[in-house]
Amino acid sequence: MARPGQPRVTPDVLPSPATAPDPAPRDRPVLPRVLGGGRRRGTDGSVAAAPVARELWLAVHLPHYMLESLDLRAATTDGAAQACGAAPVVVVDVGRGGKVVCDCDARAAAAGVVPGMALNSALALEPGLRVASREPRRERALLDALATLAQEFTPRVSLEPPDGVLLEVRGSLRLFGGARALCVQLRERLQARGLEARLALTPAPLASLWFARAGEEVALRRPDTLPSRIAPLPLGVTRWPARTLQALSTMGVRIVGDCVRLPRDGFARRFEPRLRLELDRALGRAPDPRASFIAAERCTLRRDLEPEITDIVRLRCVVEPLLDELCAHLRARGAAIDSLELRLLHREAPATRLRLRFAEPVAVAGRIAALLQERLARTELPAAVRSVRLRSGAPLEACEEVADLFARDRRHSAAVPQLVERLRARLGGEAVHGLCLVAEHRPEAAQRSGDILVPDLPARALAERSRDETGGAAAPRPVWLLAVPQPLEGGDPPRYEGALEIEEGPERIESGWWDGGDVRRDYYVARNPAGVRLWIFRERRAAGGWFLHGVFG
Amino acid sequence: MSSDALEQLLRHPSLWRARQRDTMGGPPGLPTGYTALDLCLPGGGWPSQGLIEVLADRTGIGELSLLLPALARLCGEGREAGWLAWISPPHPPYAPALAACGIDVGRVLVVRAPPAEWAMEQALRSGACSAVLGWAACRDRQSLRRLQLAAEQSGCLAVLFRRLRDGHEPSPAVLRIALSSDRDGLEVRILKSRGGRAASVRLGWIRAAAPAQAH
Repeated sequence: MARPGQPRVTPDVLPSPATAPDPAPRDRPVLPRVLGGGRRRGTDGSVAAAPVARELWLAVHLPHYMLESLDLRAATTDGAAQACGAAPVVVVDVGRGGKVVCDCDARAAAAGVVPGMALNSALALEPGLRVASREPRRERALLDALATLAQEFTPRVSLEPPDGVLLEVRGSLRLFGGARALCVQLRERLQARGLEARLALTPAPLASLWFARAGEEVALRRPDTLPSRIAPLPLGVTRWPARTLQALSTMGVRIVGDCVRLPRDGFARRFEPRLRLELDRALGRAPDPRASFIAAERCTLRRDLEPEITDIVRLRCVVEPLLDELCAHLRARGAAIDSLELRLLHREAPATRLRLRFAEPVAVAGRIAALLQERLARTELPAAVRSVRLRSGAPLEACEEVADLFARDRRHSAAVPQLVERLRARLGGEAVHGLCLVAEHRPEAAQRSGDILVPDLPARALAERSRDETGGAAAPRPVWLLAVPQPLEGGDPPRYEGALEIEEGPERIESGWWDGGDVRRDYYVARNPAGVRLWIFRERRAAGGWFLHGVFG
Repeated sequence: MSSDALEQLLRHPSLWRARQRDTMGGPPGLPTGYTALDLCLPGGGWPSQGLIEVLADRTGIGELSLLLPALARLCGEGREAGWLAWISPPHPPYAPALAACGIDVGRVLVVRAPPAEWAMEQALRSGACSAVLGWAACRDRQSLRRLQLAAEQSGCLAVLFRRLRDGHEPSPAVLRIALSSDRDGLEVRILKSRGGRAASVRLGWIRAAAPAQAH
C-alpha cells in the first residue's frame, strides 16, 4: 500500500517528469488508448466502443501546501539569506500549541523528520532545524493562486480547501492536445511557481481527489473502471472524522473497497448518511455538483521580505515575480488593467505608495515592469522595506493586439501609449499632455490641454472647419501664447525691447461677459527692432494699457 | 588592388564626398516650404535622418515658421502620420495657430521635461513620432551624440533648438543652422550641412500659412 504523499507508479500513470523517471521506451507505461480516441482496441484487434464520461475531473493536490504557502524560496534566492535558506525547514501550527511538526521539506525528511512527529523529536534528529509557523491566510491565498492558474486550462475550477483544486477538463482536451499534454503543461506551470503537485484524472471529482491525495497519478476515462481502481485506496484519503475512521478500522475496514462492500442501509444508519453519499459520488453513481471558483475582481498580492530590503534593484527582483503572477491572473480572466498600486511597507515610516497609470489597458508583465522601473528609479525609500503589497486596479476588457497584414501604419498607433506611459512614469502625469481646440473667441480659452489618447473627433472636425472658414490666414494667431498676458511699458505704441511697429490690426475681441471672464480687447500684430513678431492688445476696459499676449514663432 | 579597395570604400552608403553632392544617392529631404532654402540643402529639404540644430537667441523671429510647413506636410501623410512631440517648449504652443497652419493638433504631444534630452531621446526611439522638437541647452557632447544616433535610427524630423553661442562648439548634428533677424527679415546661415556646404539665405519676412489645398 502506498503511503499518502508517495507517488506510486501504476500502469495508468500520468507523465510526471519530477517523480517518475522515464524507463526505456519499450516498457514505458503507456496511457490507455481511451485517452486518445475514446475507443479501446482489445488484444484481439477488435474495436469496442467505450462509454465516454461526460465530465473529466483533474484533481491537483499539494502535499506540501503549508511549506509552499510560506514561500521560503524567495528568501533562499537572495544571496544574503543563502545560509539561512539552506537549513532544513519544518512547519508547526502555533495556533495549536506548535509542538507537532505539520510539514517538512526534503532536507528535513532526509534527516528522518516526518509530519506528525513531535517538534522536540525533530530537533533531536536535526538540531539545525528552522521552525516556521503556519499562516492560514497565506495558505488560502496559495489555494486561490492555484485556482487562478488552473483557470488558464478550464473555466470550471472548484476549490477543495485546504490543499486541492479540481478542474473539469473534458472540454479542454482537444485544445491542449489530449490529457497527457494538458497535464504536462499544468505541471510545468506549477513547477515554475515552485509547487509540487499530485495530479489525477477520473470522471468523478471525488475519486480524482482521493487518488491525488493518495499520490496515485492515474488517468481513468471510463466510469466503469472506477470501482475496481478506487477499491485499494486507504480510507485516510476520504478525510472522514477521525472517530469514524477509528470505528471502521476496528471493524477491519481499512480500504475504500471494504467500505463499499458494507451493507448500504447499515452503513448509513451507523455513520452519517453523508459518508454513504460521498462513497457513491466517488464511484460515479451519484451526481456531484461543484461550485465554480470565481477569482476576485481585483488582484491583491503580497510578499513579506524576510531580510528587509533597502536597495531598489533588489526590490525589483522581488516585485517582478509578483507582476508575473498578476499577469497570469489577468490572462485567466481575459482582462487587462489600466492602473496599479504598489505599497511598500516599512517598519517605522509610513508606507510608500506608488501608483502607476497606464495609457491603455495592459496585461503584459514586461511592460508593467519597465514602467515600474522608471517609477522606482525616482523613488526614495524612507526606510527598509519589510513587505510589498500589489493591488491591481479594476479589471478591464483586454483588447488583443490584432496584427495588421499591412503592418506599416501600426507602428505609430501602438507606440504612442507606451511612450506616454514612460514619460509620465518619469516626469509625472501632468508633464505630458496633448492639445485640443475649443470653439471660443477668447484666445486663452480657444484651446485646452487634451488627453492624448482620446481621439478628439469633434476637435478635429473643428480644426478642419476653422481652417476652411478662415482660409488659414484671415486672423493671425501666434504659435506661442503666454499663459498670462504681460503688461507692456511705453505709451502709444508701446515698447518691447525697442519701439514696436504695428503691422496689422486692430482685431477686436469682446466676449465672455456671461461667465465672469469678460474680455474687451483690440489685438495688433507688432514687430520690434530685433525682428520679433508679437501679438499685443490694448485693454478696452477701465484699467486700459497694453499687454503682450503671444509671440509668432 | 589598392584602388579597388578605395573604390569599394567610396561606394559605402554612409561615406560621402563633398564634391559629389548632386550625384549622391542620399535620401530625399523633407521640403521646407521655402524654395530658396531647399536649394541650399543637400536632399532638397530638411534631412529626414539625423539631428537638425536650430540656433537662435530669441523666440519669435520666425524659427517655428521655418518648420511649420514641413510639420504640416508630415501631418498630411494620412493614416501613417506619426505624432509631433514638443519637448520643453519655451511657451505653451497655441493650438488655433497650429491648426491654421494645417497641423493636426490632435497629434501634438507637449512634454514639459526640465532635462529635455532624455524625453527627446525617448520620443525619438519610440517610433511613435514623425517629428520631435526639443528645446534644450545640451551642455555635454555625450547627450548630443546620443540624440544624433537616436535621430538617425528613428528616421523622423528631429530638431533641437539651442542658443547661438553653442554654434561655436562642435556638434554631431547633420544640419546646423543659425537664425538671425533684423529690420529686413530673417537670415538663415547654414553652419554645417552633411553632404552640402555652408551657405547663407535671406528669407525676408516669412509667415507660416496653410499649405495650398489640393483640389
